[in-house]
Amino acid sequence: MTKQNPMSKALVRRETIAGYAFMLPSLIFFLGFVVYPMIQCVYTSFFDATMNREDIFIGLANYKELFQDKTFLGALKNTVVIVIVSVPITCIFSLWVSSVIYDLKGFACSAFRCIFYLPVVTGSVAVAVVWKWMFNNYYGIFNYIGTSTGLIEQNINWLGDERFALGCIILILLTTSVGQPIVLYVSALNNVDQSLVEAAEVDGATKFQCFWKIKWPQIMPTTLYILVITTINSFQCFALIQLLTSGGPNHSTDTIMYYIYYNAFKLYRYGYGNAMGVVLAIMIALLSALQFKMAESK
Amino acid sequence: MKKRKIMALLMSFAMVCSLTACGGKDTGASQPEPAPAPADNTAAPDTSANQAEPAPADPAQAADITLWTYPVGNWGDSATVDALIANFNAAYPDIHVTVEYLDYTNGDDQINTAIEGNQAPDIVLEGPERLVANWGARGLMVDLADLWTDDAKAAIYDSVENACKSNDGIFYEYPLCMTAHTMAVNRDIFEAAGALQYLDEEKGTWTTENFQKAIQAVYDNGQQNVGAVYCSGQGGDQGTRALINNLYGGTFTNPEHTEYTANSPENIKALELLKGMDGINFDASIAGGDEVNMFCNGTFAVAFCWNATQEKNNAEQGNINFDVLPMAFPTESGDPQLCGGIWGFGIFDNGDQAKIDAAKTFIDFMANDEKQAVESVKASNFWPVKDLGNIYEGDELMSEYAKFIPYMGDYYQVVPGWAEARTAWWNMLQQIGSGTDVSAAVEEFVTTANTAAAK
Amino acid sequence: MKQKQTKQLDVYKIISVIIIAVLAFAFAFPLYWIIIGSFKTSAAINSATPQWWPQEWVLDNYRKLFSKQTAALWEINIPFTSISFAGPTVPAAIRWLLNTVFMAVASMILTCITSAMAGYALAKKRFVGRTLLFSLIVCAMALPKQVILIPLLREMASLELYNTIWAVIFPIVGWPFGVFLMKQFAEGIPGEMMEAAKIDGAGEWKTFYTIALPLIKPGIGALAIFTFINSWNDYFMQLIMLTSTKNLTISLGIAKLQAENATDFGLIMAGASLAAIPIIVVFLIFQKYFTKGITMGAVKG
Repeated sequence: MTKQNPMSKALVRRETIAGYAFMLPSLIFFLGFVVYPMIQCVYTSFFDATMNREDIFIGLANYKELFQDKTFLGALKNTVVIVIVSVPITCIFSLWVSSVIYDLKGFACSAFRCIFYLPVVTGSVAVAVVWKWMFNNYYGIFNYIGTSTGLIEQNINWLGDERFALGCIILILLTTSVGQPIVLYVSALNNVDQSLVEAAEVDGATKFQCFWKIKWPQIMPTTLYILVITTINSFQCFALIQLLTSGGPNHSTDTIMYYIYYNAFKLYRYGYGNAMGVVLAIMIALLSALQFKMAESK
Repeated sequence: MKKRKIMALLMSFAMVCSLTACGGKDTGASQPEPAPAPADNTAAPDTSANQAEPAPADPAQAADITLWTYPVGNWGDSATVDALIANFNAAYPDIHVTVEYLDYTNGDDQINTAIEGNQAPDIVLEGPERLVANWGARGLMVDLADLWTDDAKAAIYDSVENACKSNDGIFYEYPLCMTAHTMAVNRDIFEAAGALQYLDEEKGTWTTENFQKAIQAVYDNGQQNVGAVYCSGQGGDQGTRALINNLYGGTFTNPEHTEYTANSPENIKALELLKGMDGINFDASIAGGDEVNMFCNGTFAVAFCWNATQEKNNAEQGNINFDVLPMAFPTESGDPQLCGGIWGFGIFDNGDQAKIDAAKTFIDFMANDEKQAVESVKASNFWPVKDLGNIYEGDELMSEYAKFIPYMGDYYQVVPGWAEARTAWWNMLQQIGSGTDVSAAVEEFVTTANTAAAK
Repeated sequence: MKQKQTKQLDVYKIISVIIIAVLAFAFAFPLYWIIIGSFKTSAAINSATPQWWPQEWVLDNYRKLFSKQTAALWEINIPFTSISFAGPTVPAAIRWLLNTVFMAVASMILTCITSAMAGYALAKKRFVGRTLLFSLIVCAMALPKQVILIPLLREMASLELYNTIWAVIFPIVGWPFGVFLMKQFAEGIPGEMMEAAKIDGAGEWKTFYTIALPLIKPGIGALAIFTFINSWNDYFMQLIMLTSTKNLTISLGIAKLQAENATDFGLIMAGASLAAIPIIVVFLIFQKYFTKGITMGAVKG
């Protein structure tokens, strides 16, 4: 970009000074509270660091241990499962809902949009505590509905059972993550060039064809954006896990994010926790690079 | 509109400036005086050098200290603690105490983050498993040798004294009160199920075989959830350990407290038994506190996490509308080994001698002052760690629970690596509850715990 | 022919709308359950058969919530000094609410200012290191905060900001999503307008203030909304950085309440109502701007 606009040296200098002057306030926070800790994180990951003791340099030992740690690998798997399951479902579900509600008359569309957005504004802690109650083994309404309709034979300990806990977490995560995509899709669908749709309908295209051939390409940028934010979102579901299961039962809901916290404040293994952070950061950087590539190639 | 924008800009500018000033390393100028708001005090070890110079000459006077309490009886209740501190301030008006109340679910995490944040409390009220085996062993606590005078050593029971010091003989806790953790049964439900015949109400004991029969009888009588081996976290975990150890006479550690022995055949047999019993679930969604609540509201017919103060508090709050029958854990031999709780004070070394002295003054007053000690102990609803006379004269409930004190067993919670081991413990119970083979799960636990102990 | 298709379409549509209406009900249900639950008696809460509508409405849970702990209503500490002003003593939950509002508003203001300036520079200034900075920002955007948990905690401790609300605010401000968003908006500022301003003799700051700022205002609105909601609901930073009762936020307060009284659902729901209702009211009032802001962020992003 710079190359295309030949600029004098003085101008470059002026622009640089002005540029950094404008960047300065933001840079202080960004470098101070994101980049610097990140560097610290990488650095400490080569140490055996714990509470109230000099850190001991151990090279790559933390990383070596990481890939032999069954719990970490389990947490890695759970993290990937959460992302892989929740991201597509969120996207497809919100696209379906939006495609139905976007042209509803009057109040209906915005009322639906509003309701689906409610769990987002309610806040993760309030959402977590009410779901904890609803999933409760003894007084929860899920067990009540399940047993009284005969769907389940006896009470299920949803959050205390290895087979269901992760699924429950994902379900809650889904309810808190479709709000924004629905808002986005509704507006994207409303902005689809209506003349193209009408022309296709005149040509006898089915509704499905109409959607797939005309609308879908036009809402593609929105889809990509939704993919990115949903991925970020599902990587950050810490509160649900900390409040509902603490990673249990039997580590079945451990995610890397929770396991870092667990290592830091239950096992006092700071260096090890940092090594995990580095691995997670690399994973996420690769994923975002991939998504940006996709966004550019569209 | 414009004004607001300018304000906002000014604000951000000011903040940026202060930040940059900070980045340029603290100098005397930016060093705050001890703040008037005590919880905001910022006396970190690395800054104490700066503060040492103008320090007032008179120690043990004029200090702001923080006290963090776990819910040890009513020491977790702000009205009670405020009254206790008012007593203290009547004697020492210049020491200002700010209290924070912790819970057993997140309290440890909270203290651990605070330690990293250089804002560890000055005084903590808890037991040796945290004060001695965890924070003490990590070198974070102050040696309390000057509180442990010869008189104190003579007065305080030997078993308590031993629990309050590390393996090297350093005292990290000054004890206040103690109890024996028991279990409890819902007498009404047991009576209805005809299960009372299986227990000795007088002595509060029962055999393993009768325990099985009783639970079965209650279960058969329609009580689907008789009790739960709770394991969502560490809250109340001594109850699950005591239950499992007692059933067939297993132990949790070796007598020297150096190694974990949870994989002994007795313990495995006990775990197998519990796993197979009708009406007993391994519940990974609740911890000890939940179990107590659910026992009180009648969901469970037995509680494994119980003691005098549980009954007292819950009865006072009107949570119990049935007859609670405290029981020792069932054993084959009829000789239960109850897990003791010993609570007392420890001081975090925050590098400020004035605060440490003030903290010691506080502890000395709370635990040793003739009039105050009784009140402090009574606030906990537990028993004193030395002879204070019969402080619960005429208190029926406390007399009922006093019969369990002789059953107090070995206090093993001072094994090295305790924090890691208890984490591994609830994970092990979760594994067993999820269907993992008992001996494999126990073996894994012992390996993890012993590795931590050897460190 | 066309008529027929419309009819088919209607059947599909009607069925879908019905399904979605049912789902919408399910989505609103937790909120209903929070509010209703906060007015139930403990017997109603602890019964295995739920009461869909409370038979008896009680305020016990709120009374309990407000009688738990107390704190000064406000306490203004100027950063890096010991000057502070304390307000009257109130139930701690009120203080938590005030802390949360302060935290969310401060994060919002700071983020908007810093991001607007930085986004403008990244989009319009051709300075050395610009590409590098921008890629750094893009990379950091998706990073979960848990990654830097330990170093950040230690940093806050050495800055003596630990256990102050600023320890929560600063990392939020540092999170570079806002910069990214504002850059996308600032790209749309026509170069000619800036040239014209320059020719008129306007300095850098004046150009930004009079030309760029009005043009990216809608973007700032969108960012403000994002930051407000995100910081209100950002539980993790609060959990790590705040410990004193008086410094807690409402989310954290509820989480603590939950840890202390895990099965006292009535009390917890009272707390949850207190946390959720203010922000929901804000949301309902500004609903139009919310949706507009969210969409605009996406179109530009």
